[in-house]
Amino acid sequence: MSTQTISKSNTWKGGNSPFNVSYGKLMMWIFLLSDAFTFSSLLIGYGAIRYSFPSTPIEQIEELQLSFGENVQEKFAHGADAHHGEFFIPALRDAGVFSESQWPSPDLVFNHFPFAHGLHLPLIFVSLMTLILILSSVTMVLGVEAGQRGDKNAVTKWMFWTIIGGFAFLSCQAWEWTNFITAGATPWANPYGPPTFAALFFLVTGFHGFHVFSGVVLNIVIFINNINGTYERRGHYEMVEKVGLYWHFVDLVWVFVFTFFYLI
Amino acid sequence: MSTPNQNIDIHDEKNYDPTVWVPKAHSHGTKDIWLKFWILLGLTIVDVAFYFLMVPSMARNIIFIALGVIKAVYIVGTFMHMKHEKLSLATMIVLPMFFIIFFLVWMMYEGNFWGTF
Repeated sequence: MSTQTISKSNTWKGGNSPFNVSYGKLMMWIFLLSDAFTFSSLLIGYGAIRYSFPSTPIEQIEELQLSFGENVQEKFAHGADAHHGEFFIPALRDAGVFSESQWPSPDLVFNHFPFAHGLHLPLIFVSLMTLILILSSVTMVLGVEAGQRGDKNAVTKWMFWTIIGGFAFLSCQAWEWTNFITAGATPWANPYGPPTFAALFFLVTGFHGFHVFSGVVLNIVIFINNINGTYERRGHYEMVEKVGLYWHFVDLVWVFVFTFFYLI
Repeated sequence: MSTPNQNIDIHDEKNYDPTVWVPKAHSHGTKDIWLKFWILLGLTIVDVAFYFLMVPSMARNIIFIALGVIKAVYIVGTFMHMKHEKLSLATMIVLPMFFIIFFLVWMMYEGNFWGTF
């Protein structure tokens, strides 16, 4: 690297860096803005398509008389063996609640929880996923804070927990997808209603999940570099901050995916 | 990884080299981070409460989006350190997103009329 440097007076009158951030961090911010546009286009498309279908009428849902934590497989099995076979979806299709002509209510679709087969637990699992991602964002920012103090061991510790959080979230998403796929959903078929619902679910959560996966890979790279002392030798831990920005962005996108797919 | 050139000061303001220059890092402590974690957790619970206590409507959707924006403010401001950055940088990144929020609500409303005209 050349030791020749640029004099401040030769650059411009705004100072060395008008934004007072390094080149790499500025580029990360601009990348995140462009990535935000990509996700926004998906969510805008989702919002428009979702409301081009009528919502499930509230009276139809009230007629089912579902209570929180109730075993809905047994309820609709009518004496048959509730542990083998699916009874909830066919019953709701017969009742016209799940129909091609109306958008399914998310609490009737995403009502599963691991080790609680057949129980009606709407939004609990996705809230847990949100908690996991927010927590891993907190451990990431604690790692960044440790880097600002130059505390190498603390960075290692917090990066470790961030990676664990990332894997936990990915596992949850894999479980969610498995549930959805075994119910018969594909990008072109959906037992809960319009096929577009499944297509958009796979597209948007898949796109977000791939971002989480990339984030975990980047976090592992940072974790190994930090153990090897790369940032200690460099004199600053800004690489942790830059990857941290990406990781928080993934968390931020999840906030909106959660809002659009599970609440709206 | 090559060994860094010891002759270059990475924080040098006078003889600035854009390929290595980074501003000096300052820690803002962990108290604020944990406070924002509890706020984010609380807002998520408020989201779920609204879901079960309010009948679906466009007004409820706008509440959800507003709560999402409040969460975004805390994530971007505190976790991504935006509130400690220069106003010019914050404006450059945040301003376009306001138009996106507007567009989100607009297209949700617009979707209602698809196939009915």
